Amino acid sequence: MAAPQAKVAPWPAVPTAKPEEVYAGLSDQAKAYPLFLESILRPEHNFEKPEALSRLRVLDCTTSMMIGHWCSSQLSELGAEVIQVEPPGGDPLRKLTPFGRQEYMFEDKETGEKVGGQFLHEMRNKSSITLNVETEEGRKILRELAVHADVIIENAPPGQWDEWGIGYRQLREINPRLIYCWVGQRGQWGPLKDKPGMLDPIAQSACGFVHGTGDPKEFGGQPTRSALWMADHVGGSCAAMGILAALIYRENVSGEGQFVEATSAEAIIRILDYSWAWYSMDGSIRPRYGNWDLAINIYAVNPCKDGYMMVGGGHDRLWYRIWRTVGDEYPAVEEEILGDQRLREVADRLAHNQQVKTYTLLGEWLKDNPRADAERKLSKQQVASGGVLYVNEVAEYPHFKYRQHVAEYDSPHYGKILYGTTPYQQHKTPGRLKWLGRPTGYDNQDVFRRLLGFTGEDFARLQKAHVI
Amino acid sequence: MATQPINKAQSFEEFCRESFNPKKEFSKPEVLKGYRVLSCTQYILGPSCASYLAELGAEVIKIEAPRRGEAMRHTTPFNEPFLYPLSRWVPERGTGLGFVGANPNEYFVSIDFHRPEGQALVKKLAAKSDVFVENYRPGTFDRWGIGYRQLKEINPRLIYCWLGGFGGWGPGRVRASYDILGQSQGGNFGMTGKQEYLGGAPAKHTIWLADYWGGMMGATQVLAALYWRDHVSGEGTFTEYSQVHGVTRQLEYALPLYGKHGITRERWGNWDTQLCVHGIIKCGKSSYPKSENPQELEEGYIMISAYQDQDFARLCKAVGESTLATKYAKADVRIKAQSQMEIYPALEKWAADKTKEQVAAVMDANNILNQPVWNAKEVANHPHWNERGSLRWLDDPTYGELLHQAPGYKMSATPPRLKWALKPVGADNERILGEVAGLSAADLKRLEEQECI
Repeated sequence: MAAPQAKVAPWPAVPTAKPEEVYAGLSDQAKAYPLFLESILRPEHNFEKPEALSRLRVLDCTTSMMIGHWCSSQLSELGAEVIQVEPPGGDPLRKLTPFGRQEYMFEDKETGEKVGGQFLHEMRNKSSITLNVETEEGRKILRELAVHADVIIENAPPGQWDEWGIGYRQLREINPRLIYCWVGQRGQWGPLKDKPGMLDPIAQSACGFVHGTGDPKEFGGQPTRSALWMADHVGGSCAAMGILAALIYRENVSGEGQFVEATSAEAIIRILDYSWAWYSMDGSIRPRYGNWDLAINIYAVNPCKDGYMMVGGGHDRLWYRIWRTVGDEYPAVEEEILGDQRLREVADRLAHNQQVKTYTLLGEWLKDNPRADAERKLSKQQVASGGVLYVNEVAEYPHFKYRQHVAEYDSPHYGKILYGTTPYQQHKTPGRLKWLGRPTGYDNQDVFRRLLGFTGEDFARLQKAHVI
Repeated sequence: MATQPINKAQSFEEFCRESFNPKKEFSKPEVLKGYRVLSCTQYILGPSCASYLAELGAEVIKIEAPRRGEAMRHTTPFNEPFLYPLSRWVPERGTGLGFVGANPNEYFVSIDFHRPEGQALVKKLAAKSDVFVENYRPGTFDRWGIGYRQLKEINPRLIYCWLGGFGGWGPGRVRASYDILGQSQGGNFGMTGKQEYLGGAPAKHTIWLADYWGGMMGATQVLAALYWRDHVSGEGTFTEYSQVHGVTRQLEYALPLYGKHGITRERWGNWDTQLCVHGIIKCGKSSYPKSENPQELEEGYIMISAYQDQDFARLCKAVGESTLATKYAKADVRIKAQSQMEIYPALEKWAADKTKEQVAAVMDANNILNQPVWNAKEVANHPHWNERGSLRWLDDPTYGELLHQAPGYKMSATPPRLKWALKPVGADNERILGEVAGLSAADLKRLEEQECI
């Protein structure tokens, strides 16, 4: 069944604001700081500036898993030369597309090879080569490549590469400066090492995150995963920190690389804030509390007229401003809140029944206010607020377009691709996108000739033997 | 440290256990020894960024408002658990658990940024620092004379790291932000949660994800900037991290899909839009039917992954679903939305009389990837995380025994580590302001009386 062909308007549907519109009516003094920031941070100037990691060469040998790709993206956005080493035929992740829909995939203009949006979105500034490390010859080539690398990232089952003679113990003999990073869901050693797991939400489930996300059972809720392979993103960020730390130590002190390990589950354990301290104090299992917060009232997302609305302000100053805003339309609600002795103290408002009362009454106002109106009214009072945005709204949000949080890349292979830009904004060495996506093995000729001196004969022989 | 020769007799796992042994962390050097970081931060985003540098051995000086400290110290679940004392001036109050995890290994100094004398102290410290982290509203520190424009003149090698909600330029620059707003507006909130047709609503990622993970993004950029300063240019820089920008970066295929087809990625609950079976199902029975804690009476949940055809065939056999096995033998058929709407309920029906452990046992026996959805107690008591040192009992010098998370990654030669969880407000005033900023005992006393520190 072919999908109906809808004509899609070019992005952006609404033109992006211009600086003179954004800063219209402001005094010179009020304009000075944001215009200074624009002068040092505007992404239009990125290509006039150097890249922080341009001396670094990374071999990302991970496949079928997002954590490694996310990690190497952090490095490639900051200027590292990242070579994606894929099995011949490509990383299986290339084939993923929502609900299996082929028409959602991006097609290489020349060869017709398809790639899904998920994989494409992380193939930023990375070249692609193919290498079959399951063959002895492939492993020999990998050992030769390792001589030329600063960083290797891999995610094979625990000990697999060691057994193959291409693990950390062997590669450090060839290249003592090599930083070797293993990434995975739960770890390559320890009691769970042999419990396999590839993609998130395996890790999300193993660390307490899924259990803690979603509404309480009493409110009809259940443990909830992130829509994203989010633990793989956080794990990849941890791996990138470890790699950069190892780089600094190598350059500053030792001249040698080291072994780095990062897992998606442990990355989330690190950031599950007070779950562990609370448990250790009185045995409390941190409960699910939906879109409210156990530790701050008001700090929640609740339904409003046209969707869902975030309102935040736990401290007295903001608390009273919120109720003044509500009181403009519902004086009785403001009166009820201000008259309740049990809501006078910040601390008293955190009890569950007080949160129920707070949000029930706030809901009276929210149900008549769409997101934009609620935000406008609360912003006048400097209260942090905003609607839950869906992707179409994110893509068109004026502030994001102006700052280019979302941008379009015109690929020589795949045509126009809308993507989320790097948040690494910086004065001297900003992160940037140089290209997005490469067909499988597109850089074989360049990389193998440049680093290993391959000849045309080598290519023919190795392709025939399914090594590259 | 010379590379050790390979011990051929040692298994790979033994090698890893030795290389990453959490008990040997303190016998190894630290990456950021001798680097000084000023953390003028509040809540989570800025503090966590600095704390990741503290885990690597930087001397991180956290500067807070005198006496009562920053807002996060007064944030704790249901206002119940606190760590006492809050400060030597306010011993009858405590620090809330919201503060735990965002500020480990740091030195705690109190300075009132609003006063000229306080600002002069910040300048003195900044002149001798490598990194300056702050997350006040854009332009606030500039107004106080201690922003990037001023500090780069004093210390051109300074890396000034600003983190916040929307960034300091553009139409939304004056908006305040918190984690939950970053999630809401960045786009991951609207995609997470139970499907619309099942009566679901968008769901928050329960951790302060945009804050804690945003702090990692900030720290990553700082590490790259340090490398560039020390080994390439000698120059500092200014970094701006907008957490709502970070969240938008995370949206996977959503933006490419919207751009090409105008299709908005929607919630798909506990299942997966790109792989099937690869989702979380409900098991009908509680693992702790006799528990006195009502939380533990809840049914269990388990993540099952069998998206390859041969795995799915084994799964169907294990659960006695021969019809599904035939109907959905092929991955491209199985992945369709309608197929998923039939497959997952069938699995839940099979699991209705089982606990998550019973389901896991069946999956393990059939070599099918699975992971029970563990709650915080189950995670806290699992030997895997304990042996790996990811969660550990910390003998905190101020607050005693505390279960605490460890750094999120491991390094063999220079492991990041946990030293203490936090300290009271201004606990290191004498040491830091005396030894680094050169205040005499009399200065310290006077500024303290004036509540400037």
